[in-house]
Formats: sequence, structure tokens, C-alpha cells
Amino acid sequence: MNEELDSQLSAMFDDELATAECELLARRLSRDTELRARWERYAVIAAAIRAERGVRLNARVARRVSVIVGAEPALAAAAASGHAPRRWLRPVAGAAVAASVAAVSILWLRGHTVPGAVVAAPELAAVPASRVTAPAVVRAAARTAGPDSYVVPPATRGATAIVPATELANYVVAHSTFSPPVARRNLLSSFMTSEPGAAGPIALSTDGAQDPPRDAKGSAQ
Amino acid sequence: MGADASDLSLVRRVQRGDKGAFDALVLKYQHKLVKLVMRYVRNPAEAEDIAQEAFIKAYRALPQFRGDSAFYTWLYRIAINTAKNAVVSRDRSPIEYNIDRNNEESYDMQSRMKDSETPEALVLTEEIRSIVNGAIEALPEDLRTAIVLRELEGLSYEEIAAAMDCPVGTVRSRIFRAREAIDRRLREVFEGGLGRTEELG
Repeated sequence: MNEELDSQLSAMFDDELATAECELLARRLSRDTELRARWERYAVIAAAIRAERGVRLNARVARRVSVIVGAEPALAAAAASGHAPRRWLRPVAGAAVAASVAAVSILWLRGHTVPGAVVAAPELAAVPASRVTAPAVVRAAARTAGPDSYVVPPATRGATAIVPATELANYVVAHSTFSPPVARRNLLSSFMTSEPGAAGPIALSTDGAQDPPRDAKGSAQ
Repeated sequence: MGADASDLSLVRRVQRGDKGAFDALVLKYQHKLVKLVMRYVRNPAEAEDIAQEAFIKAYRALPQFRGDSAFYTWLYRIAINTAKNAVVSRDRSPIEYNIDRNNEESYDMQSRMKDSETPEALVLTEEIRSIVNGAIEALPEDLRTAIVLRELEGLSYEEIAAAMDCPVGTVRSRIFRAREAIDRRLREVFEGGLGRTEELG
């Protein structure tokens, strides 16, 4: 056998061969059984020098693995048949989902925004004690991280609501900790006006002092 | 010269469907992997089974290997996980590898006595070790130093060159010549003995 080739093989075994030469020799190594037998003996010599206790120096593992791998489909064929995951697909799909969610949210918010809303600032502290219900107390605690006032636009009779606005408003206020102030205010405005006269205890309109307070289910007390 | 270029070139070939390249990787690392697994199981035959399983797992996972780490580092992790799972599934406790040098002989004997599967393999292993050690003893001083620094101490060619105060090319030549000298002595036994053992195994 070519001595230069063997010298290259020895250097490749030690990972001391240039990348370009490695490419060429790897190709030859995978096909030339004699070269691979020499490669195997280099590994045995290394193991014998290291005196690896309990490790048998015959090639049982390699031969068994070779038989098993030989019965398996080649990796390139497996990848071509679609077994290998397409790495680029995951981030693209993620971005598409995020964009869809954002677009739907924007359209939904626009559809529920009431133009020309009147801003009032009724503080919860101004509510008579007799009208402050338990859910209102809970919501008052939740408000500590939220805005000081809510937008309460005048009722618009034409607005329709899928879910009673009172329930939605209570829900939004209760979860106000997790929503940005602007979105919360807009949502709240919509809910207040979508169901006339059912704004609930937290939604205090300027003339709402005469209305009976409602609990979270919207029932009059 | 890129780090891990040798393994990476073989890995790339396997990823393109060349199974012969994977054989070369297994041949290179089978002893290291069996030794690694023996931190968790005492029996060499069982360690070989686990190492074999680890290689098969590695082969199937190779399409996902991108070369961010060295191939052996990646293989090492697969083998460790496979060994741990094997130990758990067989309801055994992992053993510590920190064996006292004084007890190493008795540990080795214990392992051998448990492994009654292939006594011929043990004889062959001893024979190979004896030949390799004899061949190393017979080497000229410079060749012996170079091969020992490489295989036993794990030094790179550059480090060996610095230690031996010679060019890197000389180190490469010395290591190659040392290997060839050992291989000449080994080849006769290896070619005959290995086939015999495989038939028995």
C-alpha cells in the first residue's frame, strides 16, 4: 500500500489532517476494506496502549453495528423520503401563526372601538359603600396596577354584543394585570356601551348612581 | 486543519448515505465507548451491548447532527444517556468509576469472571495487548515517545513537537512509523484471531 496514503491515514486518525485531505481520504476509507482494516488496527493499538481494563480488543461491537446499520435505509434516502424534519419550516410556521393572531386581534379591536367616546373619571372611592359588592372589592385590588380611571362612553343603542357586556367587562377588569392599559381601556369602553344599562358595578356612568348594582353574573341585587 | 475535521468528513459522508463511513467511525470509537459505558455496568458483554445500542441511536440521529460540537462529544452524550437508561430499566445502581488502583486488578478479575460468554475473546485481548506492549518496547526511543505522548497523554502533534523539540512534520512521521511497526507485529494475530473469535461470539 502507498506509504503516503498510510501516513495520511495515521494523521487522519489523530485528527491532524487538513480538511480537504480528510474529505478525500474519508471517501476512500468508506470504500476500501483494506484501508479500513488498517484504521481498525490503529484503534486497537490506541486502546491497547491506553490499557483499557475490561475492554475487549476484538471488534464485536463494530461488526454487529455494521450488520444492523446495513439493514437500515441509508440516511440520504430517509431524508429524501421526508423522514428528516425541515428545519426552516418551524420558524416560518411560527411567524405565520403570530402574524395571523396579531391581524385578527387588530381587526377585532377596531370593530369594537366606539368613536366619540366621552371620557369620565369616576373613582371607585366615590362609590357609596352600600354599592360596593365583593367582586368590586376584588377588582379594586386588581386596579392597583391599572389605570386610575376607566373610559365610560355614552351608551349606544345600536351596538350588539355576543356576550353580555357586564360579564366581559368584569372579566377584563379582573384580568387587568395581564393586559396593556390602552387595550384594556378600549375593550372596557366597548363593553360598557354594547349593553345599555348593564355596565355592572365597576362601570359607573355619570348618571349611573340610580342604577342597582349588579354582580358578576349581571343580576340585580 | 480544522478541529474534528476527520470525524466531520466521515459524518458528512454518512449523512449523504455512505454507511461505510459510519463503520469507520464505529471502529475508531468502539473501545472508548465501551470503556465509557463500563462506568455504569460491570459486565463487558453488557457494556458492549449498550455501546452497540448507542451507536445505532447515533446513526439514526445523525441527520440532526449539525457539527456544532465534536462528533465524539455528541456520541459521548448519547452513550451516557443510553447507559443510564439501561441501568434504570434493569433496576441496578450505577457504580462509581473511581476505582482504587490497588483494587483495580480484583475489579478486572471480577469483570472477567462475570463475562463467561467468550473466553477466547479475553485470550485474544491479552494476546493483542502483549504484542502491542512488546512492539512498543522494541521501538526506537523517539518513535516510542511520540506514540506514547499521542495515545497515552492525548497530546496534539503541535504539543508533541514542542515537547520533543522537533517540527510537526517529524512528529507525524514518527507516529506513523511507530504505528506501522506495531501494526506489522499485530497483523498476523489480528487477522487470524479476530475471525476465529467472531465465529465463536
